[in-house]
Amino acid sequence: MDRKKYRIMMVSDFFYPNFGGVENHIYYLSQCLLKLEHKVVVVTHAYGNRSGVRYMTGGLKVYYVPWRPFVMQNSFPTLFPSLPIIRTILIRERITIVHGHQAFSTLCHEALMHSRTMGYRVVFTDHSLYGFSDAGSIHMNKVLQFTLADVSQAICVSHTSKENTVLRSGLPPEKVFVIPNAVDTAMFKPAVVQPSRSEIVIVVISRLVYRKGADLLVEVIPDVCRLHPNVRFIVGGDGPKRVWLEEMREKHSLQDRVEMLGAVPHAQVRSVLISGHIFLNSSLTEAFCIAILEAASCGLLTVSTRVGGVPEVLPDDMIILAEPDPGDMVLAIERAISMLPKVDPQVMHHRMRELYNWHDVAKRTEIVYDRALKCPNQNLFERVSRYLYCGVWAGKLFFVVMIVDFLFWRLLELWQFTINTHNLFFFLFGSSLHCRFAIHLSLGVPTL
Amino acid sequence: MFWRTLNERNPNRVALRLALHRRRLTQVLSAAAVPAPQHRRFFLFPVSRTQKLGRFSSALHLRWLLGTDPEAQPRKKPETSKLLVMDHHLASDSPQVRPRWRKVAYGGMQPGFDDNHTDESFLEGMVMNANVVRRDMLKVMLDSVSISEYLCIVALVVLVWTYTLESTIDESRLLCIDVSLLVLGFLILLFTQEKISLSILVHHYFLNISFFIMGLYVLAPIYQTLTRSISSDSIWALTVSLLVIHLFLHDYSESTVNAPGALKNPALTSCISVNASVVASVFIASRLPSRLHVFAIMLFSLQVFLFGPLVTYCIKKYSFRLHLCFSISLMVVTLRFVYMLHCLLFVLLLSLLVFVNVVCPYWLIRIQEYKFEINGPWDEAKLCFAITD
Repeated sequence: MDRKKYRIMMVSDFFYPNFGGVENHIYYLSQCLLKLEHKVVVVTHAYGNRSGVRYMTGGLKVYYVPWRPFVMQNSFPTLFPSLPIIRTILIRERITIVHGHQAFSTLCHEALMHSRTMGYRVVFTDHSLYGFSDAGSIHMNKVLQFTLADVSQAICVSHTSKENTVLRSGLPPEKVFVIPNAVDTAMFKPAVVQPSRSEIVIVVISRLVYRKGADLLVEVIPDVCRLHPNVRFIVGGDGPKRVWLEEMREKHSLQDRVEMLGAVPHAQVRSVLISGHIFLNSSLTEAFCIAILEAASCGLLTVSTRVGGVPEVLPDDMIILAEPDPGDMVLAIERAISMLPKVDPQVMHHRMRELYNWHDVAKRTEIVYDRALKCPNQNLFERVSRYLYCGVWAGKLFFVVMIVDFLFWRLLELWQFTINTHNLFFFLFGSSLHCRFAIHLSLGVPTL
Repeated sequence: MFWRTLNERNPNRVALRLALHRRRLTQVLSAAAVPAPQHRRFFLFPVSRTQKLGRFSSALHLRWLLGTDPEAQPRKKPETSKLLVMDHHLASDSPQVRPRWRKVAYGGMQPGFDDNHTDESFLEGMVMNANVVRRDMLKVMLDSVSISEYLCIVALVVLVWTYTLESTIDESRLLCIDVSLLVLGFLILLFTQEKISLSILVHHYFLNISFFIMGLYVLAPIYQTLTRSISSDSIWALTVSLLVIHLFLHDYSESTVNAPGALKNPALTSCISVNASVVASVFIASRLPSRLHVFAIMLFSLQVFLFGPLVTYCIKKYSFRLHLCFSISLMVVTLRFVYMLHCLLFVLLLSLLVFVNVVCPYWLIRIQEYKFEINGPWDEAKLCFAITD
């Protein structure tokens, strides 16, 4: 069956040149969708001097909208001023589906709001778990309720994440699809020559912050070193808790048994991983841990805390789970050490190729897009009345916000109608006349 | 027991409350993707045996979960009401046996199931209201007595300040009050703390207090001239605001001055409240004519603000009855003195005490029914050992 070809706009605050779970997800998904002959455009904020339109591998077009990041890589939340630029990009690229990523990204929420105002179909992917009780989570959940009040479909990266998202936003569960991340197994191959098993090397690569369980590491490493004289640790990553790890090293005189590498650039992660036998992940909360996939793809046996979506990620013979308690983790590491002779890295790598594949993720995402396009286009009042359910006061506020957004959009339609005629020009003469000069002229956006 | 009887008495109110709860949760009525009756299926999840329901009656929660009017449907026992969420497409499945759905993320799409398949085990790990404390009206009222006791203490301090500023009380009488308060405080401490011996009393408390008093006496001239250039109106306004801040941020559960042997870091708010009270005392003291006045009033204020919480804490720890008698007598005495000062202030203080002691506990218990605490596998893990940061 000849599938319909979509023109997709991925929008998020988090993209290359930053490296992280969300960034990698967007990049790999876009590349696989391009291979499936869809058109993908990524919209994100400017990173340093990198501002304007850039092209990445495979013809992936990235709009680095010239806004500076405000706090924690997010752009400043302006409600309505982002409508003109988003509208311009949507019309210019003749987008059919808008796909936003990460609940923490203000650009994503704004773009989804404007896209819904303009009547586009919207898909949202949530990559993180949030709580319900602290002040930050309460506000974040309210913003999420606003965005997801009128979304076409939603995607979560694990089943635990789906439960969390459904509870936070009140979406019906049938609207939420579970499509996990995957790993680039071509990049993460095990070593050709395995490191010798006379000395067991345990690798830890994570940001050394509270959320990633750095405090657990401080408790676990001395115990393991004491119980197993032939075990060595390699700790990669940086963060505020690094000081405590260094102190632990000094206190127990483990300088020759615990190696601290500092921040590891993404290109060198594989070389650090293949020098080890076991990968230790001690996070306190994870929606879906890609680091574990990378380690398994390199043939390492994983020991992890049983939190969030981690139990769903790998089959039981490739991962050993422990409660986030130092004693339990030490026992799990001992079990892993005893299981190590039965582990063959090449076999594990081939299994990972079967289990996780970005092309599979792209195909499943296509199904979500098909479903999203089948949602009927409702008129303004039906759509906007959904926002009233968001809360006693918040509902009315969101209602007003969407009405104002709609009015602003109609004003832009009258005022900036030249964009519509340029669109007609390209439609008539095809995209081969993709003259950059013409684009910049009509965009009116300061580019490169 | 209490909850069930409270709710059964007024079924209409319960229905209204349930409807409000439901509305807060269902944000989206996606008319196309999910036809209207189907959205209620969001709530038709079985209450599994492994789910802890806390102290709330499971039937009440199941009624909430069902999203039904409690009058319309008979109450079902939790064990027999295992409702299944059968998506409509499952009913039309082909008769061949397909593998069971597993809660895993690997292996691609599970054969026979869509990616948005919602299994029966959805939200199985959710735990509701696991840590909620059931509150009893009488106990809350008795606990709020300590708040009104402290309010009365502060009111008495303000009274003494007013009388001193009007020169109704002269410095010798003030000094007598100081000394008698000190002696009284020592006696109470001696009486109520079992582990204390005379030597500890002398070495720890007595020495520290004498250093403190000497320091105050030496610094009294500074306080006297501190705010000479500030107008009186600003002083009164500042003092009132500082006292309000002090009352707001005060740590009513325990004393701010640690009893010997207690190792606890005071919270930021209790530090701010102590500082606010000290600054308010300094402002008032700086309006007085002579050095001895200043010293006496400063000693009085600091005694009460810094050591008063410790004394009341010791009384409370020793015997609750004694604490209750002490608080009530203090309230009566305060009201009498305030009445003698000004009628309007008396009315204000009385209404404040009634509000704190009667209205607030009732209000708290009423809104506790809306409490909806959600825990589950998505929560951040709590570390069970102490973290030094």
